Amino acid sequence: MSKEQPDPQTVIIGIGEFLVGKLPMSSIGLGSCIGLVLHSRTGGIGGMAHVMLPDSQGREDRPGKFADTAVEILVSELSAAGCRPSQMVAKIAGGASMFKGFSGNLNIGERNTEAVLVALKGKNIEVAGKDVGGTMGRTVTYYPALGGRMVVRSADGTLKEL
Amino acid sequence: MLLNSQQCDALRELGNIGAAHAATTLSTMLMTNIEMDVPDIKVIDISQVHQYVSDELAALVLFEITGEVSGGGYVLLHIPKNSVIRLTNAMLGMTEQDRELTEMDESALLEIGNIMVSAFLDATAGLLNIIMLPSPPSLTIDMPHAAVQSILASEGFMDINEVVLFRTELRSDQHKIINNLFLLPNEPMLDEIVTMLENLLTTASESPGTS
Repeated sequence: MSKEQPDPQTVIIGIGEFLVGKLPMSSIGLGSCIGLVLHSRTGGIGGMAHVMLPDSQGREDRPGKFADTAVEILVSELSAAGCRPSQMVAKIAGGASMFKGFSGNLNIGERNTEAVLVALKGKNIEVAGKDVGGTMGRTVTYYPALGGRMVVRSADGTLKEL
Repeated sequence: MLLNSQQCDALRELGNIGAAHAATTLSTMLMTNIEMDVPDIKVIDISQVHQYVSDELAALVLFEITGEVSGGGYVLLHIPKNSVIRLTNAMLGMTEQDRELTEMDESALLEIGNIMVSAFLDATAGLLNIIMLPSPPSLTIDMPHAAVQSILASEGFMDINEVVLFRTELRSDQHKIINNLFLLPNEPMLDEIVTMLENLLTTASESPGTS
């Protein structure tokens, strides 16, 4: 099996963070979180957000943290960089449910996935690839300059390309 | 800030006592010495969790803390993958290193988790003069960051931006086994524990009455 070669330039997007740019970006160890990528078909540019919760309920301090505000901020920052929404495609991974049967577990992974998809639909953005649900953690790496390639590594070591 | 440095010290001491008891049970089960570090307590931003918890495969045994505290706090036993087989081999009296994990390993991990975490909670609760019990455990072989992240996104934590990361490492040099105990209290539980600790310290510093 081919091993990912970590690019020293790769920017880690931590929980609740987002970034728009051309460098490779990675979110490690997504459980119920979603790695949301918005890629522009032109210009080798795009953005990633590490979404933790489905609904901002009006909060604006950490746009990358919530599904609704994450989609909003990525679209607006990409637009500011000269991309049109019609050129944008989305790829998403994560939304797992790792520990079933705990009282605090309200299927947050599933709700995150749903909320991201709803927000994307609201912006008429096509979902070009997704690897969501299940029980396993994932690490994702996105390469804006390589045609928007997104590599998903599951906890069991399998690699998937979106 | 969730905690000042004095509160961190008190919590570290509490964790130290709990971890020492967990280490004793591990030492008894493996019939070997267990080394233990002073617990590491950090208040970190959620975006920085990846600097302390990796995505490298490990056995993860999760317990919810129940008893005389508000719910929503967790204890996570983290055993790096290369320690897992050595640990269960030592427990089950086997020697083969290069093998797949079986159901027997999984029961052994649940059992060792149960015993260690019960000892950990017993000792900490005893000091606070309350009762704390672990829920039934849940085991997964997965990425530690994904597990911690899932806990932080769960109901009890909900909308947090900072977290208290409490970690202590237990090692058996003889068997080359490393275990990490993480304590992840949500804010209401953290507040309760800190208040109890502060009351304890105040009571201890007052001289006994002379009536």
